[in-house]
Amino acid sequence: MAGQVRKALTLEVRQAGSAGVVRASGSADIGQCEKLLAALDQLVARRTALIVLDLTDLEFICSQGLGAIITAHLKSRHHKGQIRLVNPQPAVREVLETARLTKLFPIFNDLDEAVRA
Amino acid sequence: MAYGHAVAGRQASRVGRGALAEKMVIDSDLRAAGKVEEEILKEAARHGYCEACRFAIRLALEEGLNNAIKHGNGFDPAKHVEVIYQVGPRETSITIIDQGRGFDPSSVPDPRADENLEKPCGRGIMLMRAYMDEVDFSPKGNTVRMVKRNTGKA
Repeated sequence: MAGQVRKALTLEVRQAGSAGVVRASGSADIGQCEKLLAALDQLVARRTALIVLDLTDLEFICSQGLGAIITAHLKSRHHKGQIRLVNPQPAVREVLETARLTKLFPIFNDLDEAVRA
Repeated sequence: MAYGHAVAGRQASRVGRGALAEKMVIDSDLRAAGKVEEEILKEAARHGYCEACRFAIRLALEEGLNNAIKHGNGFDPAKHVEVIYQVGPRETSITIIDQGRGFDPSSVPDPRADENLEKPCGRGIMLMRAYMDEVDFSPKGNTVRMVKRNTGKA
């Protein structure tokens, strides 16, 4: 979090086998969370059964970012889809734990583990 | 608190430099919130606040400003948000004032309750309370004052 200045949120979407992977980097702050929802929505629209959100390079998340993940989760439920989270940084993990969202979303240490589980 | 006249504008405006508290007035635009964050976090870094403290201040600011801009002012371009802050070596206090009708914070359901976990919204106040040392709303509910103490840990 050098300098604490808002960093651009970048989202890389790709397939890993049958899973859709979103790698989020930067800062999921209030001005940028719509991009996160849009990236997840792409995969939801394709009725992707397993969406893996790789949080390795995500430095910050606010309640709007949490809301984007939950919204995608609710939409995925229509086709029995699932969202799994991978390797959040300690500060981001703490936000997820504070909100008790680790009860809703399993957290995996790495991408392979999340895809194979 | 001593600070100068509020200057509203598209750009964040700050007055009262060197006074007891600083004040910024921003438009009801989420993008403008970034300028407030940058100013306050720059000061916090200068005073040696630990990374966890700066993360907490940032998160609480994001949530407070989102509430003020979205729920308080309803993105009304005619309304502004005032942020009065004081960053000292021991603690940071931040007051966010919107021009909305206010609300009763006690009426917000606990987002950590099992039945609310899947709700996409309603976590802002909970996160502010969890990450700051003090969070108090005015009786009307359109002003929130938050305090974060510097733990001094690197």
